[in-house]
Amino acid sequence: MQPEQSTSGGGAGAGTRAYGEVYDLGYRHFEGERAGRGASILALIIYSIKRGLGIKKRWTAKIAPILLHIAAYTPAIIAAGIMAFVSTDEPVFTYGDLNEIIAVILFIWAGALGPAMLCDDRRENVLGLYFSRPITRSDYLLAKVAAMGILMSTIALGPGILLFFANVLLADSPLSYFGEHIDDLGRIIAAGGLTAIYLSAIALAIAAYTNRTGVATAIFIAGLTVLMGIGNALYEVMDGTPASYVIFLSIGDLTQAFGEWVLGERTTLVMAELQGGVYAVGMIITAAIAGAIMYRRYQVDT
Amino acid sequence: MADTAIIDTHALTKRYGSVLALDGLDVHIPPAAVGLLGANGSGKSTMIKLLLGLITPTAGAASMLGMDVARETLRIRQRVGYMPESDCLPLDVTAADFVAHMAEMSGIPARAARQRANDVLYQVGVDEERYRLIRGFSTGMKQRVKLAQAIVHDPILVFLDEPTNGMDPQGRDDMLSLITRVHRQMGMSVVLSSHLLEDVERTCDWVVMVNNGRKIIDGNINTLMRGGSDVIVRIDGDTHAFAQRLQSHGFETRLSGADIIISIAEAAPDDRLFDAVRDAAVDMNVPLRALRPRERSLEDVYIETVSDANADQPVDVAIGAGTGTEVSADAA
Repeated sequence: MQPEQSTSGGGAGAGTRAYGEVYDLGYRHFEGERAGRGASILALIIYSIKRGLGIKKRWTAKIAPILLHIAAYTPAIIAAGIMAFVSTDEPVFTYGDLNEIIAVILFIWAGALGPAMLCDDRRENVLGLYFSRPITRSDYLLAKVAAMGILMSTIALGPGILLFFANVLLADSPLSYFGEHIDDLGRIIAAGGLTAIYLSAIALAIAAYTNRTGVATAIFIAGLTVLMGIGNALYEVMDGTPASYVIFLSIGDLTQAFGEWVLGERTTLVMAELQGGVYAVGMIITAAIAGAIMYRRYQVDT
Repeated sequence: MADTAIIDTHALTKRYGSVLALDGLDVHIPPAAVGLLGANGSGKSTMIKLLLGLITPTAGAASMLGMDVARETLRIRQRVGYMPESDCLPLDVTAADFVAHMAEMSGIPARAARQRANDVLYQVGVDEERYRLIRGFSTGMKQRVKLAQAIVHDPILVFLDEPTNGMDPQGRDDMLSLITRVHRQMGMSVVLSSHLLEDVERTCDWVVMVNNGRKIIDGNINTLMRGGSDVIVRIDGDTHAFAQRLQSHGFETRLSGADIIISIAEAAPDDRLFDAVRDAAVDMNVPLRALRPRERSLEDVYIETVSDANADQPVDVAIGAGTGTEVSADAA
């Protein structure tokens, strides 16, 4: 629409002409290029990460992510601070010490995140809208798993990596320290990565079967805590080889034993009687089963 | 018809256990505003979900926009919008954020998605409120946001499943006006699924009526409503005598208030009828006030066709509480 000129009265002085423009706010078609399926998946990953962190949600949704991140990063920051100002030969915090603290926080983070990834969409019937978009059900799950993995990594890997680079920067020769200890970085990523995948898969499998966020979180945290109790009780009454495998019921002990094995720490766990690789295989199998359960749930017609 | 059809189905069937939700549906729908009319549970939503690939058919095939629904589902979905019947909006997100996200999910780049979300929300009447959480929206506002997410990616075809459900009369009126705009001004084909005859009659130019999972009739609404081809005559004078005069010329007539209705067996009245009416008016010296074809309402069409199609399952056309005439099939 052409801009229109108009004169008006009002307080303008003599000879003053008020100028107004009227624009056509009619509907405009989209004439740009449409991105493919990959862009849709990426959009869902980014959106899910924001939702998981409580971004653009009510302030109460931001409390848990902020507190858990503060709790996870504080030990590494304190350790780096002490190393910076106090000259000491012994490490203030080993990677194993840090892993032990983080395992608990990661457990809670998984319990909060899994339901946030899946339950809200089911409860609010948003799935129908997603599945009417150019993505498959598997794409949807892939995006949710990726978002969960990225968010879990912020706690599973972030503090360890922060401590590693603090050690590098505070070393007498940072470059040579980095070269000599690069395998530590690999261990941190392996320990944190598999633990994050393992806990994520279980949390998402539980979340796939309920619409209520609170119920899913309660089942994850309470259910696995009860399983840990059962595992410990069974270990007390069982003997021989079968008792060694009871650790797979006790998720806290299992992730700690695995982490200590990967990070080369001496374990203090009485239940940790198996080779470290067995823990890894067990965690991978459990994660695969949980993933299959979740996948199956989302292949049903909605 | 098949060449220009925007939706084409062949023997499309969906069975849930022992329940046959859709029974060999064959439809050819042109680019238009199409009313998918039927009672609750007649198979309308099932048809939409099958076309969108949300559920898989038990048998049959379908194509949309010239693409096979089974093989090219994702390509089709890029150019199709969907507004479900049920609540489907996240409550703790702003309307602007959610609609922009849905645009991105349909392949619109992030920056353009944000711009289009704002534009489309403005078009559907959610302007300043778009920065508020959806939690605080009224039913009418939520319906508008649902419509906005369905059209934000500029689809060729948009499915609206019972879009006026739960709305007050004013909100319903506004929504129907919006739907008309979506088709006429925004240029999108619309499939409006509804059990409300007035909604379809007001907004659509094509109708597909379904009952018990089967198509009972489809076609241009104006053609269907003209379908009876009866003629109405109104005079100032003795209508009984006038009707008898016409009967003596071999025409079947009946009285309806001040009108004389002449039933025509053929597709359209011929000159013989008009000559007879003119001659009768001249001979009886009565002024002729009206001579026009009788239009049926969509309600008449629905009752006639559904009753004929399913004699053992009477069709009830009831007046809904403030929501217009709705159709429902009572089990015999």
